[in-house]
Amino acid sequence: MIDTPMLQTLAHFLDVTSFRHTLITSNMANIDTPGYRTRDINFLQELHRAATRVEWALYSPVTRQVQGLVERPDGNNVSLERESLLLAEVQLRFRTAVELVRSEFRQLSAAINEGK
Amino acid sequence: MNLFGMLELSGMALIAERQRAEVVASNMANAETTRTLEGGPYQRRLVVFRSRRLPQFPALLAGVRQNVGQGVRVDQVVRDATNPVRRYEPGHPDADAQGYVGYPAINPVDEMTDLLGAVRAYELNASAVQASKMMIQQALEILR
Repeated sequence: MIDTPMLQTLAHFLDVTSFRHTLITSNMANIDTPGYRTRDINFLQELHRAATRVEWALYSPVTRQVQGLVERPDGNNVSLERESLLLAEVQLRFRTAVELVRSEFRQLSAAINEGK
Repeated sequence: MNLFGMLELSGMALIAERQRAEVVASNMANAETTRTLEGGPYQRRLVVFRSRRLPQFPALLAGVRQNVGQGVRVDQVVRDATNPVRRYEPGHPDADAQGYVGYPAINPVDEMTDLLGAVRAYELNASAVQASKMMIQQALEILR
């Protein structure tokens, strides 16, 4: 199996990013659920945890409630703007990482083909 | 991490919001209904949303109950217990002895506001579906 440090880091990055995307989706789904609190992760901390974990399947990120959001009378504090902006940001981050993975594979492929 | 789980999450929200819109439509349609199967005027319906934990498939495979995303579903549809609005219409077949007819306590403005809220939330989740789809497609690009 071909594996480079760059690919490993990118894999962790993609993992944490897609997890964050799930959280944002979940926040958006619960925009009308009474008492629901916005949840998020500490991105850098999770990236570090993902990089230093031992087992693949046992990775369970720590989520936290986001502080400082305006709470509605029904106890829900999901902010449409925050979630929309984060969704766009996370999408672009994901895209960046995917492009980097592809370029890494292109480089590997070039290295293989040049040897022919 | 499960990319496809996000689609399910947003899908649940789409279903819940559509149900909410249906209930609102039913309220608006029955704003003047004085006869129902249970007897008496129509009672306004309200949906109650509840967040639901969605176990992630890879975690289940590994035997871990890891709850990541929280979906949403309509927990119950409750009836608004507000008393009917009484209007004096002696000629109406459903009028009581004093000539008053009980009409459902439905305010069209409230219902329209609720409907708009449901539509906006639906749009929001539909855009989340788009975002998830794009991410899955981009991940597939790696295979090319």
